[in-house]
Amino acid sequence: MKQIVLGITGAFMLFVVIALTAPLAIAQSQSEQLSDEQRARIITNCTSMKNTLTQLKASDALLRVNRGKAYESLRLRLMDTFNSRLSSNSLDAEGMVSVTKSYDSTLSDFRTAYLVYERQLTVTMRVDCSKDPDAFHAAILESRTKRAAVHAKVLELHSRIDDYKTVVNDFYEDFKRVSGSDA
Amino acid sequence: MSDLETKTTDVELTTFWARHRFFLLVFFTIIIALTMTVVSLVVYNLSGSAQLDLSRPGYQSVSSQVEREDNTGEFSASGSVSRETLEDFMKLFNEYGDRAKSVDAFNGDPLNPEILEFTDTTANQ
Repeated sequence: MKQIVLGITGAFMLFVVIALTAPLAIAQSQSEQLSDEQRARIITNCTSMKNTLTQLKASDALLRVNRGKAYESLRLRLMDTFNSRLSSNSLDAEGMVSVTKSYDSTLSDFRTAYLVYERQLTVTMRVDCSKDPDAFHAAILESRTKRAAVHAKVLELHSRIDDYKTVVNDFYEDFKRVSGSDA
Repeated sequence: MSDLETKTTDVELTTFWARHRFFLLVFFTIIIALTMTVVSLVVYNLSGSAQLDLSRPGYQSVSSQVEREDNTGEFSASGSVSRETLEDFMKLFNEYGDRAKSVDAFNGDPLNPEILEFTDTTANQ
């Protein structure tokens, strides 16, 4: 019993030590990245940077809405309907269904990645860059990484569209060959 | 004696609820409405709907640029499959696909600190 209590106390102490030292270590590494001149420049440009971020947030939201619509309609109006049509005609739509599933999953990842990025950008905009340039700089870097992740998902979606095109083309070639030999 | 006391208390309680029932109705209605509002706002924010809502303050400048849905060019899920229908589909898919891929969204690096933070914007003013 005594050992359990000691174990729990030890774990708690370790947690407290990590919780107290980790932010200090992060803050230290961030402060090492910025020179005094850079810090001063962030403070000087604080207002204009906030304005830039506000504009970026609005334009990215518009981009998300418009691109999201384009990607959604491609799936709902073409991929799903085409797969259903092939299945209802007892044709093998396995290749198309597989790519559609993969496209769906990437689309879901794109939505999540944007959500994460948007939240990080909101957090960044809340940081007072005139008072805490280091935290602002760190938040900017984090937002930048998350925006890059959204772009990676966009590229992945484009790649899935090409994959679908390829499987449909293969299907078309097979269909032509089979229907040609039947004729 | 004890029974009498209990009865008296019950009567007092009944009288209290009966006397204040309208006030309590209003009070609980407000509590329920507030709870529902909080829940719906939490769902609105957590589900990601808020991020797509361009009618929010600060987004009016871009809300007019939302692309309207084009209802033409939907491929039918029913019907036979022939070489022509496949060709029609491929043409339609290429059209939609090219449109979807036409924008390399979230490209560029506007959050690059070199560009965002260290460009002295005051120097140009």
